[in-house]
Amino acid sequence: MLWDLIDIIRDNWLLLLIGQYPNGPLGGFAATLILSTLSIALAFPISILIAFARLSKNPLLLWPSTILVYVARGVPLLMLILWVYFMVPLLIGANVPGFVTMLVTLVIYEGAFLSEVVRGGIVALGRGQMETARALGHSYFGAMLYVILPQALYNVMPSILSQFVSAIKETTLGYVINVPELTFAANQISNQLLTKPFQVFFILAIIYFLVCWTLTRLALTLERRIARKRAGMPGIPLSLNPQSQTAEL
Amino acid sequence: MTQETPTERAAPMIKFSNVNKNYGEYRALVDINAEVARGEVVVVCGPSGSGKSTLIRTVNRLEEIHSGTITFDGRSVHGKMSGSELNHLRSRVGFVFQSFNLFPHLSALENVTLSPVKVNGMKQELAREKAMMLLDRVGLSSKAKAYPAQLSGGQQQRVAIARALAMEPPAMLFDEPTSALDPEMVGEVLAVMRNLAAEGMTMMCVTHEMGFAREVADRVWFMDAGQILETAEPSTFFSAPQHARAQRFLSDLRH
Repeated sequence: MLWDLIDIIRDNWLLLLIGQYPNGPLGGFAATLILSTLSIALAFPISILIAFARLSKNPLLLWPSTILVYVARGVPLLMLILWVYFMVPLLIGANVPGFVTMLVTLVIYEGAFLSEVVRGGIVALGRGQMETARALGHSYFGAMLYVILPQALYNVMPSILSQFVSAIKETTLGYVINVPELTFAANQISNQLLTKPFQVFFILAIIYFLVCWTLTRLALTLERRIARKRAGMPGIPLSLNPQSQTAEL
Repeated sequence: MTQETPTERAAPMIKFSNVNKNYGEYRALVDINAEVARGEVVVVCGPSGSGKSTLIRTVNRLEEIHSGTITFDGRSVHGKMSGSELNHLRSRVGFVFQSFNLFPHLSALENVTLSPVKVNGMKQELAREKAMMLLDRVGLSSKAKAYPAQLSGGQQQRVAIARALAMEPPAMLFDEPTSALDPEMVGEVLAVMRNLAAEGMTMMCVTHEMGFAREVADRVWFMDAGQILETAEPSTFFSAPQHARAQRFLSDLRH
């Protein structure tokens, strides 16, 4: 069993790492990482705009953004992927690579989730900070830019990192529309070997676990550091802060 | 409501005319008519829920009113105006909150320089220079680099006063500036306010510090149930309050 695992990794590590690149599209773990990083990076600024719209009193901003968030959060991601997969070619009249389809879907999906994280961070600051900034003469957006967002986004950094962990796990669904990411690569290997699916998917699970677990630990450390800084006591030991918003894996 | 033209120097700094405000059925402000003259220090006192904070918050339009007019430095506050006009007006009203509300992600110095730079477009170096002078004035130049979480409540409130002063407001409003402080820190904040008053700053303070009112105020406004029941010089107000409600309030304070 152990020898099987070592053999499989030794023979296929490059496929797991970068897919068939340079002879085919970039895939494997590299594609997973690029897909999840890019999706969060693009979803992040969008999520701030959605959060603004959700906090707005203007119904033209409030309603569409609220519907978007509720739909994205109320529908399985797989459903959303299939929608984008079949709808976008119809809308733009051209075929779209699976990677792009997956990226667009993840950006919408992560954008909706992150917008609630960002909105929560803004609301959690309370009215006092906004009111004070306005009393000093800042415009609404000036107050957001210089006073509210620097605090809110800093405070929700652990949640954003947690969302990144989710995004990594969600890229596996790209498999159903043939996006050559890590799970896809593992399946290729399994198909070649025919008799060792358990070993192959065990390796796959371990890779995902190691990456996500590391990032979750990082989010926890970050969260404690922020809590400490917020309390204004840089020297307090970690163990004295039992409250934690990020679930352990 | 029409925009009033800036009036001559003798005109009051803040003027309330027939101001009313309701929260549904509840009348928060009832027919307020009062003036704060230039250079005057007015202390607004009265029992909790009497509308003191609501009144002071209408001056820079943190609260809307339902009828009447309020002018600040000759300009109508609640008239029709664009967002940027309102921002400009607010930038000229120094406001100090009960809960300090320092920006926790900025150092004391940055708290003071942020608005002059971002709102008034002041050069960063000049703003820093000015901020250091202001921090010195409130006795905190040594804490310029400290973050709010590293300061005591009294120190935070003094930074908040310096922050408001950095906008060079013609008048300062204080909304219970010492109510959230531990007793031993009240004195340092009142001392800063006392200095400001001595320098001729126009001030309107909601406060329960009757010693401060007695010593520093030019006039005391006594409020109850959304009305100003009595305005008097502190010596008169504290020795011979006219209104029965004021008499009861003062005797309650003594017990």
